[in-house]
Amino acid sequence: MLPSYILHAQEINYMALAVEMIGIRKEFPGVVANDNVNLSVEQGEIHALVGENGAGKTTLMNILYGLYRAEAGTIKIRGKEVHIHRNSDAITLGIGMVHQSFKLVPSFTVAENITLGAEPRKFIFTDRNAVRKNVQEISERFGLQVDPDTRIRDLPVGVQQRVEILKALYRNADILILDEPTAVLTPQETRDLFGVVRSLVAKGKTVIFITHKFREVMEISNRVTVMRDGKVVATKETRDTNPAELARMMVGREVLLRVDKEKARPQEAVLQIQNLKVLDNRNLQAVRDVSLEVHKGEILGIAGVEGNGQRELVEAIVGLRPAIKGAIQVKGKEITGLSVRDRRETGISCVPEDRYVRGVALGASIEDNLIVGNYFKEPMSKGQVLNLSKIADFARDMVKKFDVRTPGTTIPAFTLSGGNLQKVVLAREISAEPELLIVAQPTRGLDVGSIEFVHRRIVEARDKGAAVLLVSAELEEVMSLSDRISVIYEGRIVGTIDADLATEEGLGLWMAGVTDHHKPDEIPAAGDQLDIDQKEANLV
Amino acid sequence: MDWSGVLDVVQRYILNVANLQGMLRLATPVILAGLCALITDRAGILNIAGEGMILFGAWFAVAGSYFFSSSFAGLFAGILTGLVIGGLFALFSLKFRANIIVMGIAINTFANAATIFLTRAVFHVAGSFSDPKLQGFGPINIPGLQSIPILGPLLSGYTFVVYLTWALVILTAVFLYRTPWGLHLRAVGENPQAAETLGINVGRIRFLAVMASGVFAALAGVYLSLAHLNGFVDLMSAGRGFIGMAVNTFGGGAPLGVFLSSLLFGFTDTIGFRLQAERIIPVYFIQMLPYLVTLAALTFFTVRRQRALKAKIATSHAGD
Ligand SMILES: Nc1ncnc2c1ncn2[C@@H]1O[C@H](COP(=O)(O)OP(=O)(O)O)[C@@H](O)[C@H]1O
Ligand SMILES: [Mg+2]
Repeated sequence: MLPSYILHAQEINYMALAVEMIGIRKEFPGVVANDNVNLSVEQGEIHALVGENGAGKTTLMNILYGLYRAEAGTIKIRGKEVHIHRNSDAITLGIGMVHQSFKLVPSFTVAENITLGAEPRKFIFTDRNAVRKNVQEISERFGLQVDPDTRIRDLPVGVQQRVEILKALYRNADILILDEPTAVLTPQETRDLFGVVRSLVAKGKTVIFITHKFREVMEISNRVTVMRDGKVVATKETRDTNPAELARMMVGREVLLRVDKEKARPQEAVLQIQNLKVLDNRNLQAVRDVSLEVHKGEILGIAGVEGNGQRELVEAIVGLRPAIKGAIQVKGKEITGLSVRDRRETGISCVPEDRYVRGVALGASIEDNLIVGNYFKEPMSKGQVLNLSKIADFARDMVKKFDVRTPGTTIPAFTLSGGNLQKVVLAREISAEPELLIVAQPTRGLDVGSIEFVHRRIVEARDKGAAVLLVSAELEEVMSLSDRISVIYEGRIVGTIDADLATEEGLGLWMAGVTDHHKPDEIPAAGDQLDIDQKEANLV
Repeated sequence: MDWSGVLDVVQRYILNVANLQGMLRLATPVILAGLCALITDRAGILNIAGEGMILFGAWFAVAGSYFFSSSFAGLFAGILTGLVIGGLFALFSLKFRANIIVMGIAINTFANAATIFLTRAVFHVAGSFSDPKLQGFGPINIPGLQSIPILGPLLSGYTFVVYLTWALVILTAVFLYRTPWGLHLRAVGENPQAAETLGINVGRIRFLAVMASGVFAALAGVYLSLAHLNGFVDLMSAGRGFIGMAVNTFGGGAPLGVFLSSLLFGFTDTIGFRLQAERIIPVYFIQMLPYLVTLAALTFFTVRRQRALKAKIATSHAGD
């Protein structure tokens, strides 16, 4: 018999745990996604869950949320052992989850999405007034502003995420799982989200926050659990740890959080762009007047808040989008009239920003994805016939050189995690030994280990004599990788500076469109001003 | 130029009450085939089996009516057939994961052969079957309405299946946009993962949608065999299952859109019949007409949409 004070202490301990997962195991064909995982989350805390891509974080949370069944292990919610067989069991237990890719119906309104599957009814009909009223009520109660009648497809990502959170709250979630919520947000939206998370915790909710970014872990969490290769490495009080230690635990070795590179030795210009104008999908001018040069042996970084014409600029250079005005030259040769393949043949390679859409064919094998740029040339093929053994050798070689973690080269690309997928793209583009290498958002959504790897490869390409055009919304990345930095704002280059001389504040001002030497004719026209106002309105 | 001649031709061959009545009649099986395509399309399923389902519905409606000497027995036999074929289709393609296109083709070819075989085996005739014992649907005259000029003949005097179809268009619209189940169905079609994570049973909804599509298609068959003709003719569905998919696309996946685009089809079909009787244009060309018009209309609207887009581009340039 235990002394009563110990019993008492245990009881308090139990009461204080919102979630306890013990000895969780989950296998997928060929991988153990979760291996004897233990996780305990206290009531009312913000618990960060970090780990490289493929570490098993999402799998663990999907088990908690009832989307997957664990092969072994027990789960306790608020101290009581529970059996979560399906998703609705988890919802009943007060668990809510916001997935990495949102699960919203684009053509439905905000209110319809929030109440879907649990809509108030009147007789056999949906009670549409009650739907709207309930949504308004819950949005006010938690201070999460949304317009119930807007359709999801018309909303920016940040607001869509808010709708996802409301969806969970509407189902009375006490324990809220956010799976990499900041991966898709702008810095401003991230700040808003942190405010929301803090206020939810103040109202007694418990939050499990999955992320890659140490800065976020340090800023928002009370405790942090690190996972690696399906196992938990450690759980720590956030105030007792630091980014370097987290990185080490995540990757299992020392990680360079900054890029190590020699000074650039720029030579002749490889890419020359003059007065380029490009339209976006809505046929508005996204690139208004861009002129720039990238030289052999240097990295030119384009910094800027997303949506200021970066995507259209890159697509115009590689030939996916027509230039309506201006000239693009590679090694002095005009390329605006050339097809995508012809441009690639002149020595352009591109790591596109959306690796799932443009970077790889998800259903095709890793092999096929590695050779799409050169399958029609020797040695991959002879005449009209592919040389399968050469291709297999090449793929194996690439997978090894670029450290792609995969059980084989003939399995489809979609089975790879984001980091490994990016390595496949990088392998294909860099192995072509390009004169001009364009990399757009090269490390978005990647974990530290992969980021370090990708950065090293980009610098290596530069040192081998490529001209590199880097486009990134991560200011830190642009600053640490580039030799020169240009800032793009509203489709124009507002300034260019040597990376050694650049400061975060200075670049930040340029990114916000503030330049100290406005000529009168450069002052934004009234129409432009309206644009900005609307963008801001969207963020609210 | 003397316009009266032209007007005369227009009135005689194209725009008259009889033609409008014909339009509403001939549109009916297309509307039903359109609803068959719609209900599965909105649930995110590509159902190409409408053609075969119509044939089965038509055959069993004839059998039901013949053996029980009642048109409503035929109707129920048709509906039951739709449920069974729809259920089997759902079972194989959704539950057992057979490729849904291959399954659809299988049902269509099987229906062609099976109904021909059944006509021979059961009724001992080949090609077509009709019999005085067969009870078809007669016209229903709505008292009061009947005597109003133009509107009367337009709305009164159709068979039960026509009115049932109109009711189904409205009911489908109410179901889709006003009931929770309709909302769930649309969610399943647009983002099944979203529906699933909210505890909606995606599999069940799809299964039921396919069964409902079977009923719609079978009703189109019932109309053809017990209201349009009075009997079964080999391959009498005549591509309406596929036209149904076209009107669903054309109608934007909405019941009212399906209704209106089916009217277009019904109208050209009617004019075709009129011209056929006059023997001015070769029959084969006339029989092509409804399909040609469908194609032309699709092209017209696509081109117009692109024009509108280009106009928008032009105005956005003007701002720079
Ligand atoms: N549905 C699935 N089928 C097969 N393998 C999967 C599936 N989901 C995840 N995996 C694998 O399980 C491992 C862990 O993945 P995940 O939990 O998504 O990692 P994280 O969220 O930490 O990036 C990875 O190797 C991944 O490829
Ligand atoms: Mg994940």
